Amino acid sequence: MGLPDASGDLSSEMEVDAFRRLFPLRFYERHLAESIRPDGRPLGRARDTTIALGAVASADGSALAKIGSTTMLAAVKMEVMTPSMESPDEGCIAIDFHMPPICSPIVRPGRPAEAAPVVSKQLSDTISSSGMINLKELSLVSGKAAWMAYLDIYCLDADGALFDAALLSAVAALFHLQIPAVSLNDDGKIVVSEEDGGKLEKEPVNKEKRKLTLRSIPFSLTCILHKNYILADPTSEEEAIMETLVTVVLDSSSQLISLYKPGGAVLAYTSAVQDCIALTRQRVWELQKILDEANSGMEVD
Amino acid sequence: MVGLSLGEKNFIQGGIAQDLRSDGRKRLTYRPVSVETGVIPQANGSARVRMGATDVISSVKAELGKPSSLQPDKGKVSIYVDCSPTAAPMFEGRGGDELSTDLSVALQCCLLGGKSGAGAGIDLSSLIVVEGKMCWGLYIDCLVVSSDGNLLDALGAAIKAALSNTGIPRVLVAAGASGDEQPEVDISDEEFLQFDTSDVPVIVTLTKVGRHYIVDATSEEESQMSSAVSISVNRKGHICGLTKRGGAGLDPSIVLDMISVAKHVSEQLMNKLDSEIAAAEAVEDDS
Amino acid sequence: MAGRRGTNPTTYSPSLKTQKTRSTIFKDDWVRPDGRGFQQCRPAFFRTSAVTAASGSAYAEFGNTKVIVSVFGPRESKKAMMYSDIGRLNCNVSYTTFATPVRAQGSDRKDFSSMLHKALEGAVILETFPKTTVDVFALVLESGGSDLPVVISCASLALADAGILMYDLVTSVSLSCLGKNLVIDPILEEESYQDGSLMITCMPSRYEVTQLTITGEWSTPKINEGMQLCLDACSKLANIMRSCLKEATTTSQE
Repeated sequence: MGLPDASGDLSSEMEVDAFRRLFPLRFYERHLAESIRPDGRPLGRARDTTIALGAVASADGSALAKIGSTTMLAAVKMEVMTPSMESPDEGCIAIDFHMPPICSPIVRPGRPAEAAPVVSKQLSDTISSSGMINLKELSLVSGKAAWMAYLDIYCLDADGALFDAALLSAVAALFHLQIPAVSLNDDGKIVVSEEDGGKLEKEPVNKEKRKLTLRSIPFSLTCILHKNYILADPTSEEEAIMETLVTVVLDSSSQLISLYKPGGAVLAYTSAVQDCIALTRQRVWELQKILDEANSGMEVD
Repeated sequence: MVGLSLGEKNFIQGGIAQDLRSDGRKRLTYRPVSVETGVIPQANGSARVRMGATDVISSVKAELGKPSSLQPDKGKVSIYVDCSPTAAPMFEGRGGDELSTDLSVALQCCLLGGKSGAGAGIDLSSLIVVEGKMCWGLYIDCLVVSSDGNLLDALGAAIKAALSNTGIPRVLVAAGASGDEQPEVDISDEEFLQFDTSDVPVIVTLTKVGRHYIVDATSEEESQMSSAVSISVNRKGHICGLTKRGGAGLDPSIVLDMISVAKHVSEQLMNKLDSEIAAAEAVEDDS
Repeated sequence: MAGRRGTNPTTYSPSLKTQKTRSTIFKDDWVRPDGRGFQQCRPAFFRTSAVTAASGSAYAEFGNTKVIVSVFGPRESKKAMMYSDIGRLNCNVSYTTFATPVRAQGSDRKDFSSMLHKALEGAVILETFPKTTVDVFALVLESGGSDLPVVISCASLALADAGILMYDLVTSVSLSCLGKNLVIDPILEEESYQDGSLMITCMPSRYEVTQLTITGEWSTPKINEGMQLCLDACSKLANIMRSCLKEATTTSQE
């Protein structure tokens, strides 16, 4: 940016920048009246989205998802547990969302971000209620052993729409997950089958590496409601200025899984909610395509 | 931490340059070292070491435990340092935490050797009772009572003295335990095994002030340092660990020179410590 | 912690704890698990400005070791801090839960944080930001061996990206002593059965060592040899880092 200069061009540029900092709301409203956002997007469009599968080699399944600058890294690690008495044939999935200090200037070590537990809860609610995963598939030996899938999502760069990106990376990591081949050893413990497969005394429990069958995949879109405008996929700057958020989660067949509207100054009328759902429906189609492309890219490698 | 006037600073720096420090020592001379062993009766071994006004206590407690699954043939040793608020007002509350962590890490690096156990002061495989099942865990806790510089060397000496003071009860293993069960053991009240501490290295810290380096710096001298290198040397003259402290960079050739100086100094320190420890043990046996 | 409320069953990893026999490394025909030469580093990849929310950041990838470092500030020091006429450097290193082969909980590495601080403080010109703090936060995404050296090199690149004045870039390389061999830039497996390790952090253009740690038993000639190997690798690493910085500025100018 530099210091104010005598040349007209630069000083007018300075004014815009100063205006943006001093009157952020008016700055945005001027843009919104023209149906465009400061980063050049139309109101209803989400930022560029990419997914890379298999980003972490030490995990059983992993994915890196980027929506604009917001970056999420999700990885699944499979461990063995004894299933509970109530559901001896079911495994378990534990979802945790982390915001390490690297992701945002407001998070400092030892002082976790307020948003992290909220997103964490939303994620586990969404994934469990969507019925995406059949927990029976995670069973190994009935009543004795089952998989515990630890799904950890790390926010590497926080620039708005954290839940959308976190859910996308989580879903992609589960999509990429390969359950390792394991067998039961003499001590009654589950161990990974050795590659050479020469040992016959062990009883194979899960013979081959396999993928989970994901029944319906949830995707989400967060929108900002401000006056009569609906802004899809907000950046952190937009989230800070205009505070009413609506998050819609739909599955791949466009069925509504959940809808969050945590307060805010703007009331969501039926028409606004319907508009949000319509935008989400379009977005789900886009995200499904991106996920499929990421997957086919993997298979080529 | 130490408030010094410009004159005092110059006096310290000038003295070091002329090989005559403010307390009359030469650059490579230690302050008088005194060792007292068996100061904590509840511990398996303990010692108190004083170097000038620096005063530290180290205690060794041995407990039976399970060896880690990654190294089933080795016992466990942990070193923890606590800085008492009596040593300096800044250690009150959590103020000493950072220094405590630094000292603990440096001691572990200097005394515990590499991952496979090479160069360790304590032979970890001698701590095993039943391989994969039971081993001794040594908990070495150190307390800084009074701090006047050169804490690391004093702590290293205190640990060495405490270890030679340590007796570990002989354990008799009852046969017949199999699978996951813990073997039954009988801990003897009378028979104790003594550690062989001849391999425990001594730590020599060389503090660089101006162009010269000194051993056993007082805290006034430490406030004038540009960097310090702590080197642990065993009786064979091999380096068992090294850490650097302090911001300024050093030329690699200076580091190598410091290592050779430290080796030379360590022999004297080692002999002095051995005789002090022997004397302290004799006093304890008499009483 | 959601989804794990109430009952938290104990779990274990099914992966085999392979007891690698150390005896193989004493054979003359021992080769490194990834087939590298003893004095060959893993290919290094760096990228700056990986995190837009930070003042400066860098991502580094050495084989399977992947770290990301963000730099924030100079910004206001904590209220409790006393007045200081030089700046403060605050470092933190943490691991993701899936970084290590066995899943770990809450992995804040205090010892690494203090080592990172010591490695950097000699290179950063603290006088240029009095009364304020520069925060250097590192996250190890995946641990593949030589984690701390990678974190240190990556952190100095992130500081450069943030425009914090430094005397020189800081590069760090470690090596493992395995039997009679010295292997540079060890991977996790090699580190797990090493006899000793040597880690050098240096400012390559000034040819100064800012941090040096040695564990295990070493003779003086071996230290000499190890240091020389690491210093050579450090200066090569610095070239890679410098070209990464140059590339970043040329692309941003376009």
